[in-house]
Amino acid sequence: MPDAVIHAEGLVKSFKKTPALRGIDLAVRPGTVLALLGRNGAGKSTAVRILTTLTRPDAGSAVVAGFDVVRSPERVRARIGVTGQAPTVDELLTGRQNLMIVGRMFHLAPRQARQRAGQLLEQFGLADAAGRLARTYSGGMRRRLDLAASMIAAPPVMFLDEPTTGLDPVSRAQIWRAIREMVTQSGTSVLLTSQYLEEAEQLADDVTVISDGLVAATGTPGQLRESVGQASVRVVLRDAGPGTAGRLAALLGPAARLDGRVLTLPAPDGLGSLAEAVARIQPMAAEIDDVALQRPSLEEAFTILTSAGPSADGARPELATAGAR
Amino acid sequence: MTMTMTGPVREPSGALQRLAQAAGDVRTTTLRYVLRARSQPDVIIGSVLMPVVFVVLFGYVFGSAIHVPGGHYRTYLMSGLFAQTALFSSSSVAVAVATDMSEGVIDRFRTLPIARSAVLLGRTISTVIIGLPSLAVMITCALVVGWRPDAGLASAVAGFALLALFGFAMSWVGALTGMLARSPQAADGLSMLPAFVLGFVSNVFVPTAGLPAWLRVVAEWNPLSAVVAAARQLFGTPQGGTAGVWTLQHPVPTTLAMGLVLLAVLVPLSVRRYISRD
Repeated sequence: MPDAVIHAEGLVKSFKKTPALRGIDLAVRPGTVLALLGRNGAGKSTAVRILTTLTRPDAGSAVVAGFDVVRSPERVRARIGVTGQAPTVDELLTGRQNLMIVGRMFHLAPRQARQRAGQLLEQFGLADAAGRLARTYSGGMRRRLDLAASMIAAPPVMFLDEPTTGLDPVSRAQIWRAIREMVTQSGTSVLLTSQYLEEAEQLADDVTVISDGLVAATGTPGQLRESVGQASVRVVLRDAGPGTAGRLAALLGPAARLDGRVLTLPAPDGLGSLAEAVARIQPMAAEIDDVALQRPSLEEAFTILTSAGPSADGARPELATAGAR
Repeated sequence: MTMTMTGPVREPSGALQRLAQAAGDVRTTTLRYVLRARSQPDVIIGSVLMPVVFVVLFGYVFGSAIHVPGGHYRTYLMSGLFAQTALFSSSSVAVAVATDMSEGVIDRFRTLPIARSAVLLGRTISTVIIGLPSLAVMITCALVVGWRPDAGLASAVAGFALLALFGFAMSWVGALTGMLARSPQAADGLSMLPAFVLGFVSNVFVPTAGLPAWLRVVAEWNPLSAVVAAARQLFGTPQGGTAGVWTLQHPVPTTLAMGLVLLAVLVPLSVRRYISRD
């Protein structure tokens, strides 16, 4: 992907003798969000550390915002915002001071830094707490302040390393809203790591799943879901008498599988298949409780993609190329 | 495609601009540490009261038993206490830097487009600035208990400048220790032990003449003794006896050279350590 804002090829990194990354490729298209998913220890944080110039790769290369992370780290740093897993806001400074100091570190003029700080405090619902020391903030407020600090100079590329881990649902939704606004309003490109599949569903245009330091799959959330199985139509009967089930199976055809009160039917055409099934079972409407189209969840995809450990020679016969490239 | 509204990237073009920007970065990090200190008044009060306790404790407790040739013990002691306070800046910086390292703050700084020396310079310069109120209190105490810089104002200012240089060099000892230590607790232990040994096996509290011969050699060659002797010389207060070694006979050039050499070695070493990427 030549026009990618973040482009990594064959990243390899070992700590002592333990391999953390065994050759991964990543690409983030301009103005989009890539979610990097993986279990703990899969190599997500190492990948982010390399891309944010904190760690040198043993092999491979990475270009961020047009500059090589190994050869021109300082030029990369001027163009990225980073929010880490542990919020690094300074507890002994007020919210406003925190933002202004980071703004000054991005070489904004004092007036500009003050202005941006005010804007962001407003946008992140921290205006009332702006003059209080950050140590009086709740976990969610600190995380929002941390995100605001990384956005102070409106960098074209943002790295969000597990931005909502450990937050309550309300705070999480606030952070998600802020990230979405940043992408749609400023055209920021984002690389996000997460353990939450819902976070990827909510925010990501593309998903890359890594497992044991290798890319297990990459594609859109939809493509990943489909890679583990197709959608199905699920029909639930009111009662499970053999007569009713038999009549229903006859209407739906031989592909339908019966399990108690539930009949499942492959839905290769998605909603089209659902509409067709509904039309076919019309005569038995009174005996049916529920009909729905069921898609495999990203959760299922994630579980399958990250649990099939690579075999000894590193090959993953079925899943290595799952999803679109 | 989405319209891009991200901020313009500010990058220096020439060497001069680069230097100006680096100076600005140091100012920002220094400001950060000074602001932090301001929101911890309890810590400041502690660091201001400590010298008062020292002057009273050592001045009157030791002073009641120790007699210094050529003057009063408390006028002798003060230069020792000034130098010891400067010495202990290594410990506070070591703990602070180790804390920064362990809390992930440093990682965040390392992803920012600031000069590579800015964080450590800000930390050490702010340590000197934050130490100024306690220095003022200490000088006041010294004047109250009878200490007078008899060699004149210019010489006294030179004495404090030399002590400041030594303190600044010591804070870089602390910076390197803090980065090598694996935890703030380890940094505390690593930096306190040598500070204690240097502080007591020296001419800070007692003239070295009374020490056992072997210990006297150590105490006289102790670099801290040279710093104290330099301060006594510039303040015009008693030296407590004649010195047998070259460093004590020429304490001012010794201290000046030591401070500059330490900085020339420690600053690049610490900054290198700070930017090293694993």
